[in-house]
Amino acid sequence: MAPTLLNRLTDSSALSLGILGVGNIGLVHLKSAVAMPGVEAVAAADAVPENRDRAERAGASRTYDDYATLLASEELDAAVVALPPFLHADAVEQAADAGVDVFVEKPLARSTEEADEMLATAREAEIAVGVDHTLRYQPDMAGVKTAYDEGRVGHVPYASITRLNDGPLGRPPAEHAPPSWPLDREAAGGGSLLELGVHCFDVLEWLFGELEVRDASMGRTLEVDVEDAATVLMDAPETGTTVTLHCGSYQWEQLPEVNTRLRLEGVTGTISNRDHLPENFYAGAAKSALSNVASRFTRDEPDVFGPTFYLQAHYDALAEFCDAIRNGEQPPVDGADGRRTLALAEQAYELAARKRDADADGLETPEVTL
Amino acid sequence: MSAASVRAVAVDAAHRGGWIPDIDTRLTHLESPVRDVLSPSLEALADADRITLVPDAHYPFHPSSGMVTDPAVIGSMVAHLERETDVEIAVAGASDERISFDRTAEYLGYTSLLERFDATLVDLADEPRLDEVCSVDGTPVALSVPERLVESTVVVVPSLRPTAEGPVAGSMRTLAASIDCDAKPARVPVATRPIVDPVVAVIDATTAYGGEPVAANVLFAGTPSAVDAVASSLLGRSLEADDALKTVREDEEPVSVESETVDFDRLRATIPDGDLPPPDSPHPAVSTAYRVYAAVAGDAVPPQLEGGR
Repeated sequence: MAPTLLNRLTDSSALSLGILGVGNIGLVHLKSAVAMPGVEAVAAADAVPENRDRAERAGASRTYDDYATLLASEELDAAVVALPPFLHADAVEQAADAGVDVFVEKPLARSTEEADEMLATAREAEIAVGVDHTLRYQPDMAGVKTAYDEGRVGHVPYASITRLNDGPLGRPPAEHAPPSWPLDREAAGGGSLLELGVHCFDVLEWLFGELEVRDASMGRTLEVDVEDAATVLMDAPETGTTVTLHCGSYQWEQLPEVNTRLRLEGVTGTISNRDHLPENFYAGAAKSALSNVASRFTRDEPDVFGPTFYLQAHYDALAEFCDAIRNGEQPPVDGADGRRTLALAEQAYELAARKRDADADGLETPEVTL
Repeated sequence: MSAASVRAVAVDAAHRGGWIPDIDTRLTHLESPVRDVLSPSLEALADADRITLVPDAHYPFHPSSGMVTDPAVIGSMVAHLERETDVEIAVAGASDERISFDRTAEYLGYTSLLERFDATLVDLADEPRLDEVCSVDGTPVALSVPERLVESTVVVVPSLRPTAEGPVAGSMRTLAASIDCDAKPARVPVATRPIVDPVVAVIDATTAYGGEPVAANVLFAGTPSAVDAVASSLLGRSLEADDALKTVREDEEPVSVESETVDFDRLRATIPDGDLPPPDSPHPAVSTAYRVYAAVAGDAVPPQLEGGR
């Protein structure tokens, strides 16, 4: 695929990028692209006029009210798909028709079945598919991986990851109209496990290799259509590690505090992601900001979104995708990785449903052999 | 001058974690306390043509946060009133620019809960309205009020929490939330008072929020202004700082809390007097400072720090 990708790049040395969907995360991608050397954010599409206005202010050269028109009108090298999940397959299909590589927000699709169709379409059209799984780009997660790979705590029999936020409903005071699609199973494909859990699956397999789901439980704290809490028990055969994952969108979040916790319990001690973050967010942000200001005088590139490490991870993920496209290489987090996280989520859903059905039938839950 | 009486009834607190996730269990725990707080008003309620229960269901925050009325309190009231009276009962909320009441009611569990009863859910935003003019401090104030709140017998059931502006949400502001008015927000509860006259206000203080939630496990009942005064006291607010409540209570008697089961002083010490979390949107100075930094350093401004530009 590499030569094809290289030949398709436009004559300009810059990679021309379109952003399909400029809600919150799409706007982060647009701002990243605008600040990225060797990338030109030529256009953005969004059905919401206010989002298009924000995109124009953020540096999009042109805006469209639908992504199909953007793809038909612009000469792009790649497109970022930052639309709700129910539009991912259609957007990728249209990008494939236009011969444009895609960087897709997670979850890649609403199901492995939909992902398979999407990836088959991409293969046929010879376009590359990258997926925005960002946890592995965060400095704290990278720090955990380095320490783990260096054997700093010896064998790790047990690891746990927790990711919690307040989801689409947010926290008080209620200021914004919450979108309905994240709470609609048909539109989103699932709840917290597809919204947050897939990031965790990605980072866990990055650390421990292939995971096997052993048990799972889904919960709802409100009467919504999708789970807002998920707990999954897994094994990592390659490293002999038992892993628990808990994610949920039930907990009030007050940025810059982000409740993402990864702990690796090893023979000689614990590796925690908290040990790889600045003790004080604001002190770390100020240090990063000063370093960026200094870079103006040393003519170095600034660390874009440097003061906010979780947004910097989105920048880095997009930058690596763009580099891969520019070099005719496979994206570092590709469609297969995105599909894999969906497969793990589906296994978890299936086990949780089986257990629920067994409980409803008054049967004993089948014993799990670990 | 005799004191206005507010009745306080304890709810069985013998459970772990301060919250019972199972609504049937909560309904069971609430049955007796709800009967007690409604008993002085039961005759008036039984004589009504229609009863409208108005909970704090302004947004689907989890009831264990104390930010909304626990639907189980409303369910328990509906169950009691359907047992004791033949009156048609509605549970009312109002859609606003953020979220429809249908969605809020569904997420909070009202939709499924009321399937057990004859009571109906009503969106006051869709109801016929009456245009009224009231005088506040000698100034005429125009109001558009849902007809149902004027023509039915109203029971308002607020949560025990502050508003984003600082004063307690209380019964007067819970009712005022469904009323369109051209006056300043602080005047709306005052203007509403002569038009919407609840037979009783019941504060759901099973969980209170004052900067953090606390399982207070109490229900209070009385007139709207009296229970709002009690709520202010519990949340450490000065009545003098609450213009609406101060105006309404100007000519009213002091409030006394009557209870055989609740230690009011201890409760007041237990409930924190904090505020809601700060809004997501940053202070304009922070947005400006970040934009200046980003311009100097060549960095991008995160969408959250744009400051509504």
